[in-house]
Amino acid sequence: MTELDLRTIDNGQIGSPPGADAEIALAQLCGSLSAVLEAAATPPSRISLRCGAASVEVEWPVAGVAGVQALAAPAAPLAAPAPAAPDTRHAVTAPLVGTFYRAGEPGARPFVEVGDVIQAGQQIAIVEAMKLMNAVESDQAGRVAEILVADAESVEYAQPLILLEPLDGDR
Amino acid sequence: MTVSNRQPDQPKMFDTVLIANRGEIALRVVRTCKEMGIRSVVVYSTSDRDSLAVLAADEAVHIGPGPAKQSYLYPPAIIEAAVRTGAQAIHPGYGFLSEDSDFAEICANNGIVFVGPRPTVMSQLGDKTIARKLVAEAGLPVLAGTSSPVLSVGELVTEANQVGLPLIIKAAAGGGGRGMSVVREWADLLPTYRTTRATAQAVFGDGRVYLERYFEQSRHIEVQVLADELGNVLYLGERDCSVQRRHQKLIEESPAANLAPGVSERLGELAVRAAREVGYTGAGTFEFLVRDEEVAFIEVNSRIQVEHPVTEAVVGIDLVREQLRAAAGMPLSVSQSEVRTVGAAIECRVNAENPAKDFAPCPGRLDEFVPPGGPFVRVDTHAYAGWKVPAEYDSLLAKVIAWGSDRNQALDRMDRALAEFRIAGPGMHTTIPLLREVIADKTFRAAEHTTSFLDTRHDEE
Repeated sequence: MTELDLRTIDNGQIGSPPGADAEIALAQLCGSLSAVLEAAATPPSRISLRCGAASVEVEWPVAGVAGVQALAAPAAPLAAPAPAAPDTRHAVTAPLVGTFYRAGEPGARPFVEVGDVIQAGQQIAIVEAMKLMNAVESDQAGRVAEILVADAESVEYAQPLILLEPLDGDR
Repeated sequence: MTVSNRQPDQPKMFDTVLIANRGEIALRVVRTCKEMGIRSVVVYSTSDRDSLAVLAADEAVHIGPGPAKQSYLYPPAIIEAAVRTGAQAIHPGYGFLSEDSDFAEICANNGIVFVGPRPTVMSQLGDKTIARKLVAEAGLPVLAGTSSPVLSVGELVTEANQVGLPLIIKAAAGGGGRGMSVVREWADLLPTYRTTRATAQAVFGDGRVYLERYFEQSRHIEVQVLADELGNVLYLGERDCSVQRRHQKLIEESPAANLAPGVSERLGELAVRAAREVGYTGAGTFEFLVRDEEVAFIEVNSRIQVEHPVTEAVVGIDLVREQLRAAAGMPLSVSQSEVRTVGAAIECRVNAENPAKDFAPCPGRLDEFVPPGGPFVRVDTHAYAGWKVPAEYDSLLAKVIAWGSDRNQALDRMDRALAEFRIAGPGMHTTIPLLREVIADKTFRAAEHTTSFLDTRHDEE
């Protein structure tokens, strides 16, 4: 092929693109990677980037994840001493003030349930502000461990909404 | 008409008021709410999570991250916070959304009272060229200038010839002393026009500018006005804000010392006439330039001002309380004949700024912060030892207000208070040394200073 189909690269499905294609693919991977790093609150402990099979692996320091959570939970500051075993769970927080909805419409299936494995970028809820429905997407992949807010409850900016457990492969 | 028939129409004070601001003014409004038995709600950004306003308010809502565009300047988050806390009114403080007529309209559309003038009045006064036209129609003297924004270089040259030099180029949407430059030489006209337009576009999102004759050696005198929905309009004396550094006020006082006889009363009458003419309600400030007996209107600030405490100190009236009364449709609690000015009051703005670095703001941790006290000294501040001055907002740390039976006593008291003030932290500098220099200055003591006092004094050094 002469023209590169960018969607296939996004899906990480390309085989061994030769020459210029490979360079573009690599640039794409680096772009995605920097977006992931920008969204993260702590620097990763290890990054592996392969171009042939188009794979990106990022490892996060376990203590760092707990740190992120502490930052994201203004309601419970300084008071609680850090638990002996570091909490590896990651909190997905509200991007704005509004009303939290677990499903797209009343009676519909919730976006996520406890136990679901979700991808980074996957929608987990809606926060409605001034009649505008704002999709809340997870900033990380993981398994939903807990849903912290009841449906139709109001939330503040940065309030934790769900807790994610890291997937086994990420440890 | 019987009394019982009127009962349902009686305006009632709000139960809950949300304060859409931060810093000392948020705390200031919370305090009056407490005194009036009103539940107060403050909104805060991540950078202000530990602010004194958050601690003092009955409720606080985290509305966004540090940058103001995503928090204090973001109407949806503020309206959501008001709705979820059941606030019937929003007090906007000064700066941020306080003079944004679109925001006032959004409030009204959501059934929330905006504490300020009606959106249409605010939008007219917010455009300086319209404001000039309106008050000129009311019979107020205005400086020679353009009646609408200058749209082209050709127009600029024609208009500038009409106005004459020196002139000042101002942003139509400007405020807070930003977006204005003086032109004294014809060669500077075009470059100054371009830079002012660019600044206005960057700061206010509106590049329109207009021209006005520049009044050299004049004083900046402003009149505090209060107006309610029932048609009562009164003025609470004037403030002199001539001590400015690059159009930024640093020291304000009331009454204005050393004015020509009759000028104070004349300004008051002009401001009240203009306020009636435009249908102003709430607290507002009408600004004038004064040179001997000559006066000229410059603009209206349709909000509470930073320097409002000097007026409170000499007239004994809580301006925020009157704002809330007017917003609730209640009559003002005083009439013009009951307004009496007693003694003199002065306010100094203590900013976290480094004089050695051209007064650049210096955010950072406050290791020590001990404000002054004692007789007739008021300190409005949101800072405390251990607090970190955020980099996102203005550099105001505290306002020190001193009252005295006369101006000299007020100035001596102010100097004593500033000397008491202890502020320290890594890389922390404040305007206190400069403020004390001004208070000791002979020209200032004699009240012979004009708006160019500080800039020329600084240049001479």
